[in-house]
Amino acid sequence: MSTTNTNAPREAIQTLLAVRVGGVNGASVLAQATIDRWRDLTSQLEPVIGTGGVKVLFGRAVRQASANYPWLAVPVEDGSEAALLVTLMGRFAGEERATVEKAIATVLLNFVELLATLIGESLTDRLLGPAWAPATPASEREIP
Amino acid sequence: MTSKKVSIRRLPTNVPGLDAILGGGLPEYSFNLIVGAPGSGKTTLAHQLMFALATSDRPALFFTVLGEPPLKMLRYQQQFSFFDPRKVNKSLRYVNLSDDVSAGNFDQVLARITQEVEASSPGVVFVDSFRSVMLEARQQPHGGAGMQQFIQKLGILLNGWQATTFLIGEYASGDNPDPVFTVADGLISLEQSVFRNSMVRRIQILKMRGHATQPGLHTFRISNAGIEIFPAAQVRDDSGATDSPAPSHIATPRLTMGVPGLDNMLGGGLPSGYSILVAGPSGSGKTILATAFLAEGVRVGEPGIIVAFEQTPSQSRTRTIDDMVRAGQIGLINTRSLDLSIDEVVQRLIDMIHQKKATRVVIDSLSGFELAVAPSFREDFRESLFRMVAVLAGLGVTVMMTSELEDRYTDLRFSPYGSAFLTDAIIVERYIEIESRLKRVIAVVKVRGSAHSDELRQFEITDDGIVIGKPVRDYEGLLGGHPAQMPVLGKVA
Repeated sequence: MSTTNTNAPREAIQTLLAVRVGGVNGASVLAQATIDRWRDLTSQLEPVIGTGGVKVLFGRAVRQASANYPWLAVPVEDGSEAALLVTLMGRFAGEERATVEKAIATVLLNFVELLATLIGESLTDRLLGPAWAPATPASEREIP
Repeated sequence: MTSKKVSIRRLPTNVPGLDAILGGGLPEYSFNLIVGAPGSGKTTLAHQLMFALATSDRPALFFTVLGEPPLKMLRYQQQFSFFDPRKVNKSLRYVNLSDDVSAGNFDQVLARITQEVEASSPGVVFVDSFRSVMLEARQQPHGGAGMQQFIQKLGILLNGWQATTFLIGEYASGDNPDPVFTVADGLISLEQSVFRNSMVRRIQILKMRGHATQPGLHTFRISNAGIEIFPAAQVRDDSGATDSPAPSHIATPRLTMGVPGLDNMLGGGLPSGYSILVAGPSGSGKTILATAFLAEGVRVGEPGIIVAFEQTPSQSRTRTIDDMVRAGQIGLINTRSLDLSIDEVVQRLIDMIHQKKATRVVIDSLSGFELAVAPSFREDFRESLFRMVAVLAGLGVTVMMTSELEDRYTDLRFSPYGSAFLTDAIIVERYIEIESRLKRVIAVVKVRGSAHSDELRQFEITDDGIVIGKPVRDYEGLLGGHPAQMPVLGKVA
């Protein structure tokens, strides 16, 4: 990423992973927060590169991450990214919290890096900048 | 009530040469097509226009449709220096329509475009590639009719929102009568042709409602800076109108040539603004004469430019030229590219003439020039030379062109390009054989509107340059290759 926003994706992901509410590991809340964050990303990207472009990059980001987290290896043809993440939610439940956090961070960072490799860091910053804006932490939301 | 006619504002495009061929810029709120084969530079032109036109007051929307994937387009367009990522999502925005188009519902596509246009009120709109929309339409039941209505509605929408619009597509002239051609106010066509090892790109304004454009095909190049167009040099008509003063032949100042004795041969120097052809065989001293002409200009404060077409410039150019170029005293345009158009050279030359305030120009040589232009331009070489000389004359510069002349003794030709009639003055250099020695002679063949010497003068090339000697008086038949000593008058019994 460019010098001004180098840490923006990492900070946003850290905020996302700071969710500590609900259940023993908060898997469902964490998964929901992940989906929210993913929607923030796609809402910025899909109008520009299309759903097809986002899907391909996401699939590759997951595939790369699954080298270390084999339980992530869910076929991307399963449905939309959101649907895929819902699937992943189920997977989170069976894993250690720390492992899940690392896996989520890896997928998201892989995605951003893949995008930056293709269209450059400055344009990636430009397109995803609003998605990295500090979101209301899920821990502060009302959890039903 | 006083009726006021609408005045169409023209938007400067910032694409070098485009405003000139558009007749002064793009008409605001016009509905334009950019058409051409794949790889002809349509998307690049669109991006260059967008980055130039998009401002916070006049935001741009770039709709991408089926065709080149947006990721690839963004990746490749960033290679151009005009691509400023800081403008993305600020003064310009990309909107991908592929999902809407794939669905084949044009009402939905139009609704999406309408929604985006209403949301950002853009001053400039691009749809790339519109051809994809049309192809998709043809696969739909009643696609053609639906498409026509769609285009009509789109034109009305974007005109109503006062957006200057560009539809980009791989249309060919055979695509007529696609309704889009009727709706369009402007039609910009790009083409590329490959001939032997050269590729030539050309642009043409086929239609532009409301004002005159510069007709014909104009060459362009795509470099890291984007597209640069070289408008075809235009020869201005001389209507003979009486409101401009008649040129005064008597008062025309003359330029000194830098070769002692040559000014006298020319009748007192070369009239300013003239073009002169220096023709001669290889090694006869044409470049040395041209160098002297430029060096003399430097000496008297008349900046010059040399356009060189040599394969090994550092070796073949004289040291004097190199020294003057390094010292910034003269400008150098040196190219060995084999896909030039004459218009490109003229454009570079004009830019440098303005930059250096040059009054002397040397083109060394026409033979190299002909080799450097793309083969497809060689057919028109003579015509292009004519236009080039006319344009340079219009700028008031004095032009010296050298021309390699095969030393044939069966005829007296000055240029293989028939360019002799194009120039105002001609100097010819020849080899002659006298007493088993190869000697050089020089003669002034013509100086339009001026008396000049008709002598054949011997000359030598020394370390100090050209030294013109005495007239060759004792021989005849020199130009025929069979010199014979004339009998000395008074010694005849």
